[in-house]
Amino acid sequence: MSTIAASRWYVLRLFGERIALRLPVGALGWLVASLLLLAAIIAYSLTIGSQPTSLSEVWRTLSGESVSKTIDNVVWEFRFPRALAAALVGAMFALSGAALQNVTRNGLADPSLVGVSQGAGLAVVALTVLWPSGLATLRPWVAFGGSMLVAILIQSLTWTTRGASSVRFILMGVGVAALISAGTSVLMTYGDIERVLSVLTWLNGSINAANWSDVQMLAAWSAVLLPALLLLSRSTAALRMGDATATALGAPVRWVRYGLITTAVGFAAIGTAVVGPLGFVGLIAPHAARRLAPSGVALHLLLTAALGAALVCAADLVGRTLMAPVQIPAGLVTDLIGVPIFLILLRRAARRTAL
Amino acid sequence: MNSAAGVSPVIRTSRWLGLPVALGLIAAIFCLHIALGAKLLPLNVVFEALTARDPSNFNHTIIWDLRLPRALVGMIVGASLSVAGALMQGVTRNPLAEPGILGLMAGAAFAVVFGIGMLGLVDNTAIPLMAAGGALGAACLVYLIARWVPGGTSPLTLTLAGAVVTAFLGALTSVAFLLRENAFDSYRVWLSGSLAGRDLSMLLTAGPVLIVALLLSFALARQITALAMGEEVAQALGVRTGWLKAQLLVCVVALTAGSVALAGPLGFVGLVIPHVVRLFTGAGYRWIVPYSAVLGAGYLLAVDVAARMLFRPAEISTGIITALIGAPIFIYLIHQRAR
Repeated sequence: MSTIAASRWYVLRLFGERIALRLPVGALGWLVASLLLLAAIIAYSLTIGSQPTSLSEVWRTLSGESVSKTIDNVVWEFRFPRALAAALVGAMFALSGAALQNVTRNGLADPSLVGVSQGAGLAVVALTVLWPSGLATLRPWVAFGGSMLVAILIQSLTWTTRGASSVRFILMGVGVAALISAGTSVLMTYGDIERVLSVLTWLNGSINAANWSDVQMLAAWSAVLLPALLLLSRSTAALRMGDATATALGAPVRWVRYGLITTAVGFAAIGTAVVGPLGFVGLIAPHAARRLAPSGVALHLLLTAALGAALVCAADLVGRTLMAPVQIPAGLVTDLIGVPIFLILLRRAARRTAL
Repeated sequence: MNSAAGVSPVIRTSRWLGLPVALGLIAAIFCLHIALGAKLLPLNVVFEALTARDPSNFNHTIIWDLRLPRALVGMIVGASLSVAGALMQGVTRNPLAEPGILGLMAGAAFAVVFGIGMLGLVDNTAIPLMAAGGALGAACLVYLIARWVPGGTSPLTLTLAGAVVTAFLGALTSVAFLLRENAFDSYRVWLSGSLAGRDLSMLLTAGPVLIVALLLSFALARQITALAMGEEVAQALGVRTGWLKAQLLVCVVALTAGSVALAGPLGFVGLVIPHVVRLFTGAGYRWIVPYSAVLGAGYLLAVDVAARMLFRPAEISTGIITALIGAPIFIYLIHQRAR
């Protein structure tokens, strides 16, 4: 019995008969690799800061052994929650993008490109400016509401035409995003200056201020949304073949679609509520995952999440160190990486439709 | 080429009647723009100040030093951006084209921020030149992307290329901004597109260039109608398309750069006005271009009045209002194309 790897197909020889078998070995391998990469980035980022710390000191601090009061404090109260928040948010934006791409059958969809993140942004700014005494626990719910409204708006604008082109869908998002940003700016001009300054860095997508309560909230929401997404995704393979085929295959098309949109919006809204809009993560991570491991829906989602987490952690790290002491918000870094990748994907999509 | 044939009589009359009406309207908005502000001035004081200036009169000083420059900047920027939009829509045959959407403004703004922050160029002649370089660079970049993507010259893809170039340059601008925060205290308002705090010195540098570019645009307007029908048609009609496009590119870059230098990036003005103009002029650029100039001037003045009056005493950036009005129209136009 021997196995011959031929582009992720594993051919099994049993009693002289050849049986082709598709094992997700590749995907699993990539998942482990990307998790290791994520761990490495996080470990490195824990050593970086105004108080330089060696890797062994970080390890000792994290394992409960005290190094020095300052280092314990810096690592536990600032760097560690920040790194965890970056990872969680990255995974959430990535999963949001994956779900949006599945439900719209549009490879160019991303929560920040179609205005979903901006909807959360406007809602949060409105809450901060208009109702300063509002409960902080309301923030994620308000963000969710804002994103949901935008998602409904975009869907109703594009779904009037069946098979609306990718480009038109994204452009609609660009228009809606411009409109929402203008609305946000009005609130910021009109609002109390101290309140406005508190949301200003946040609007650029910065993980600077993340703390343990943010991490808790992100983790709690992920714990609800991720299983929901995995459950719904079992039907996405059918969905991708088109509504009619999917219905014929017995998939509850309408409910799967509503569910996917809701989870996508949920992921993006909570991520935005904590760190602000981070563009292009939801575009890059699912595509990278699909390139690395084209098969297996659940594995693809997990790989997407791991890659998104690594991407945002890396973006945060680069933003912190590249031009230190100036901190460049992670959102700007992902924008700068994301645009060229978006163009490559656009070119590929255009080629395919032209042929 | 777009004479009586094929144009409805309604449009034919409205073309001629519209001009005096529009000019009268602009004169009214102009006076209103000067009269309204943090301190309300009666219209007779405005007339008095404009016709017989008395240097010892405080109100006259307000008008001449603060309000008149702002009104003039608003008019010339509004006219320039609208004409730039009209020209771009004609050349690219893309109804969504305008300097903001196709990335030229982001290019100009980035070049200015880079020049000020990294190279320390702050004088009045350097800023418009940097803006021109940036606008030209961005235009070339968007064109190259459109060539590189299959079918990229189609209106939607070209617009998308502009939108992502805008996003990219916007992020770069923010980075430059963060790195040299102190250098930009006085440019913060400018970057969101505003007519506030303009003095006459920049207008004296950029103004003449803008006026020359506007006049050249009027002169070229007739040929754009032919170009908008397609390259072959234009050539058959005896238009030297290459030369015409080069001239139009110079016009568009000059108009955009001058406007950005004066008022920062003001989005959607060049999109909205030519579309409104088309409603009563039909498709001939001989009419669209001058009407865009006139209506654009009035439009930006009116928007600026709103920017100052809506949330008094706070003032909103003019660019925010042009986006609030323009973005829904942009969405509507994409929606229209879907059908």
